Amino acid sequence: MKNHSELINTKLADTQMRANLDSAMHALQDRRLALINSKFKQWEGLRQRAKNAKDNALFTLKDRVLEFEKNATKNGMKVHYASICEDACEIVYNLMIEKKISKVLKGKSMASEEIGLNHYLEKKGLIATETDLGELILQLGNETPVHIVVPAIHKNRYEIGELFAEKLGVEKESEPEKLNAIARVHLRNEFENLQMGLSGVNFAISSKGAIWLIENEGNGRMCTTSPDIHVAICGIEKIVESFNDAATTDTLLTPSATGQFIPAYNNIITGPRKEGELDGPKEVHIILFNNHRTNILSNKDYYEALRCIRCGACMNFCPVYDKIGGHSYDAVYPGPIGEVISPQLFGMKEHSDILSLCSLCGRCSEVCPVKIPLDSMIRKLRRDKIGEYEENAPLGASELEHSSLEKGGFSAFTKMATSATLWRTGLANASKFNWFVQSFGGHIPVLSRWAKYKDLPKLEGNLYKEISKLDGVSYE
Amino acid sequence: MQKKVYFYATCLGTAAMQKMVLNSIKLLRAADVEVVFKKDQTCCGQPSYNTGYFNDTKKIALYNAEVFQGDLPIVIPSGSCGGMMSHDYLELFKDDVNYEKIKQFSSRVIELSQYLDAIGFKPVDKGEKIKVTWHSNCHALRVQKSIESNKKLLTSLSNVEVVYLEHEEECCGFGGTFSVKEPEISNAMAKAKVEDIIKSGASAVISADGGCLLNIAGTLSKLGYKDVKAYHLYDFLSARINGEKL
Repeated sequence: MKNHSELINTKLADTQMRANLDSAMHALQDRRLALINSKFKQWEGLRQRAKNAKDNALFTLKDRVLEFEKNATKNGMKVHYASICEDACEIVYNLMIEKKISKVLKGKSMASEEIGLNHYLEKKGLIATETDLGELILQLGNETPVHIVVPAIHKNRYEIGELFAEKLGVEKESEPEKLNAIARVHLRNEFENLQMGLSGVNFAISSKGAIWLIENEGNGRMCTTSPDIHVAICGIEKIVESFNDAATTDTLLTPSATGQFIPAYNNIITGPRKEGELDGPKEVHIILFNNHRTNILSNKDYYEALRCIRCGACMNFCPVYDKIGGHSYDAVYPGPIGEVISPQLFGMKEHSDILSLCSLCGRCSEVCPVKIPLDSMIRKLRRDKIGEYEENAPLGASELEHSSLEKGGFSAFTKMATSATLWRTGLANASKFNWFVQSFGGHIPVLSRWAKYKDLPKLEGNLYKEISKLDGVSYE
Repeated sequence: MQKKVYFYATCLGTAAMQKMVLNSIKLLRAADVEVVFKKDQTCCGQPSYNTGYFNDTKKIALYNAEVFQGDLPIVIPSGSCGGMMSHDYLELFKDDVNYEKIKQFSSRVIELSQYLDAIGFKPVDKGEKIKVTWHSNCHALRVQKSIESNKKLLTSLSNVEVVYLEHEEECCGFGGTFSVKEPEISNAMAKAKVEDIIKSGASAVISADGGCLLNIAGTLSKLGYKDVKAYHLYDFLSARINGEKL
């Protein structure tokens, strides 16, 4: 784990990244709002339907998983189960070894990021190459995604042009079309000898045993149709019951993510190439993985986080995210949803430091298409972090150390706030902004942290005395 | 609506914005409302709640329910603290034996603009022409939902031109303990807000929340923008209806 404040201060000081993010995030916000206003009559109703569809699947998840397995198998797909990240990586590795494949091409998949696939394969001497433009940029620059939908959004076109020139030996360009063309030429060579393609899953439809993938660039379709073997990595929460449920949720996804009405490609995959068909993979493997999702599901305070459809709207609208960028979260999933799930998927010990990256403004919950109460979950995770958890505590919560200084501060604050005499005595000295100091007694120098960037107000007068003199006011 | 109320000053109001508290009470008096000020009132508990100290917060909530017994509306000059007491308390006590007691208390909490709106208060503007902008407090906007009433009062002032911020619904970076736990990020947010305010061309920014206002005013002043003032809505309103200079 990197040093929290050091990481954040470095990112805050990166003026280029902040300018890129500021303009990109505001553009995404404006596009989403304009689209909702112009194209949708009942956006709120759609949100409620999608919430119901996802909840229905979550409440019956065991049945849905088994139903998906049954129907996908019937369709000729091979279903694998993985409990933890390493299991999922191992399944991909074993498949590659079995088929004597040394390189796999990937469409965009946050699930593969979550399990750390590229790194795992690399350690074993195998190669995973990204084909999504954003992911390719990151791979060339040896970076991790900064965002779950637009992974390289922190970079502008000039920076990308320089990276391409340096890594791919091409002329330095900055026009988006030319940059696209460079990536296309580069990837075409990669696609030529493709044996195994890898993808994520947006929706797995249990009643049909099908998977649904959305994308904008066509590379995902290349990865899933042109090689002989297609492997899809799917968190179990991606399962919905019916095509209707998937369609409802899909309708919310791209508008929320990028402000597009529909994605450029909707791929519905129902199995490998059939007898007599000319193309498509000969084998389709689905890896259903858990990685502590069933723990989240069993917790009344957090199960709703599993409704997430990975649209990234919460980060697009987060006023903290656009100041510090996704890398500040030092986790696979950044932004508000990342704050909620990263500590639970990977452990509070490693990731609970990010729970302070939120002003609880509530905008994430307001824009979340499937109504996940993100801000309230972040607050509850803070409760779990300080050790006041009730049942089914998130992964590793019991191993955390607690600040007795902070606890003491709040306990003193509570003592004051529940005693009229203590409170009035305390506030009699408020003229030096003592209220703030006393409120967070354990956190001195709180005052200096506040005053570093802000001038303090000037205080005067005795409020209680003034009020008791007012006409028509009972002071009792 | 009953024209006798409890007034809840909020901890920030008591400690740092005493004029605002007095002006708010005077506004209620101007609307012919009888005001009861419980001298034992303290704080709504939002600082401890947002930091995760739920058990401490429950004690404070129960204390409040005890102090403000009866049926009178509890009028509060802050959508943030209002949202805490009218909505967040219910979430906090969801599975608690004291839920009904808290619910009775919570259902009576109302933000001052919402109350003034409900009783049909119409301010008469005696001030000079001025162009102002508006900051929406997040909790007031999304939890207490009192921003509409705030704006209704502000825009009813005949000599006040209101221009809105480009990113009006973006947090100013206060967030209670957030501003002291992550002061650097908080400052980056406050600076973005201040830049937006300056860009609006208004000579003052008005907000109906003490925390945001201290944050914005403190940042404006630290950055040296001496020509743009920050006023609490109720101080501003009070000055306008009395024809006083602020």
